[in-house]
Amino acid sequence: MPGYHVSRELVERLYWLTRLRWIAVAGVFGTTMFVSKVLGLTLPMNPILAIGFMIGIYNLSFYLLLKSIKIKKNRNIFDAANWISNWQISLDLTCLAGLIHLSGGIENPFIFYFIFHMITASILLSRRAAFIQATYAVFLFCSMVILEYFGILHHYCLKEFLAYDLCRNLVYIAGVSVVFISTVYIAVYMATSISKTLREKSKKLRMANKQLKDKDRIKSEYVLQVTHDVKSHLAAIQSCVGPVTAGITGELNEQQQSLLKRAEERTGKLLLFVKALLEITRMKLSNNITMAYFSLSEVVKNVILVLGTRAKNRKIDLEVEMDQSIGDIWGMKTNIEGVIMNVLANAIKYTPTGGKVSLSVQDKGESVLMVVKDSGIGIPTEDLPKVFDEFYRASNARKSEREGTGLGLSIAKQTVLRHKGEIWAESKENKGSTFYVLLPKGGEKL
Amino acid sequence: MPKILIIDDDPDIVESIKVVLESEKYDVVTAPTGEEGLRQAEEENPDLIMLDVMMETGTKGFEVARELRNKEAHKNTPILMLTALKSETGLDFKGEAGDEVWLPVDDFCDKPLKPDEIITKVEKLLNKG
Repeated sequence: MPGYHVSRELVERLYWLTRLRWIAVAGVFGTTMFVSKVLGLTLPMNPILAIGFMIGIYNLSFYLLLKSIKIKKNRNIFDAANWISNWQISLDLTCLAGLIHLSGGIENPFIFYFIFHMITASILLSRRAAFIQATYAVFLFCSMVILEYFGILHHYCLKEFLAYDLCRNLVYIAGVSVVFISTVYIAVYMATSISKTLREKSKKLRMANKQLKDKDRIKSEYVLQVTHDVKSHLAAIQSCVGPVTAGITGELNEQQQSLLKRAEERTGKLLLFVKALLEITRMKLSNNITMAYFSLSEVVKNVILVLGTRAKNRKIDLEVEMDQSIGDIWGMKTNIEGVIMNVLANAIKYTPTGGKVSLSVQDKGESVLMVVKDSGIGIPTEDLPKVFDEFYRASNARKSEREGTGLGLSIAKQTVLRHKGEIWAESKENKGSTFYVLLPKGGEKL
Repeated sequence: MPKILIIDDDPDIVESIKVVLESEKYDVVTAPTGEEGLRQAEEENPDLIMLDVMMETGTKGFEVARELRNKEAHKNTPILMLTALKSETGLDFKGEAGDEVWLPVDDFCDKPLKPDEIITKVEKLLNKG
């Protein structure tokens, strides 16, 4: 059973074919009018136009049929689509044969339009089916030529177009037939070869992509396990050192206190890093997160409560502006709080004392735009595209602040993407940075 | 002095909490497993229970918390859950009996445990009870 992608691709190509056929229908009417009115050739108008109408009607039916397949999400979508393509091509060939018969038979240069159908068949169908369609085309062509030759079928001669009645000229018939038949088969052979290679290649790419995803998942699971273990050991170390440095177990001398404090601080930093790693890995692995409506203004208030003091201590002017029209938004509250906290904490961290940081939350109808602007050290142009990458820290950020996991913004990005939102940054070194977070408000669409 | 039961399978964590609590003159009893914890709860009748989520053995901590709540003697005993689960998942774990995320505990405390945080939370829970 061919995969979902193959079926989808086939359905999409069938839509393409339907669109082409509308052009063909217009072409039939247009050419007929042109040939009879402008060139003044005598054509059996009624049967030709009838065939044109017939093509239009079956094209519409196939279009509706295709729609119903897509809507129902039929499991046997491939079989249905395959059946439709075979029928479409056979009908196209029959109609083309009819049109050609009515407009000069073998004398009509449009016989080479059969080749287009052969290429379409090679793209849409299996190799075997494409050759069967080629044989059907050859059968239609030969039947028409032979029946017209023996006068069983009426030959509509294009007197004004050709000087001679070529349909009874055996040498001409043999020549055109050989070229026609060989062209049909060679075209199918070449086109199916190319489309087979392409199909195999895209299949290989899809497989490779899947394998990469699987491997990434295995890697993430491994990281999750390791970080979880590391975290529990670190937590135990911190918990044991805590009471000692707090003086609960008795007073320490200055050196003991200083060394233990250092140890405690380093463990704390490592713990922070491990927690961030744990968070991002967990986010990558979990497929569903619990979302609900929550008040964005409350979240912003919480963040300001925590970061306000930090800004004040650094004498940074923290300005907050919030559109009051924004009601509740849909998402995971703690994660969104984490995003705002992360971006705003970064702005404060990389803004020198006395600088300015602003957060503005704007109502954009279907979504909410949060803009965090600072007058800080900025991000060098070459680092800007990478600031959301895992473990990446801009060169000047590393210089100005030794601490930092390089994971904060990647966690923020993961979260925002999970909420079907967008996050991006604009910055110039030494001129400050602006971070934008665009979040959709609504729940149903997420 | 109020009696506190610590149920955690990490002996180092248990010891560190014990030191802090004993410095505040609390009576401390400990249990390394869920089963032992339930037994101790019955025998010692503690005023507060500190319970680890015990991820290593699945979510044993959840089961212990639910079982404690279903016992008449511990229906109202404050439980302090030692986990970062609440802040990590964003779930409030309120729910109702039978829910998958129902965790009938009174407060959460993330590891590593800071001495002053332990003391504040314990005091608050005991006063409330």
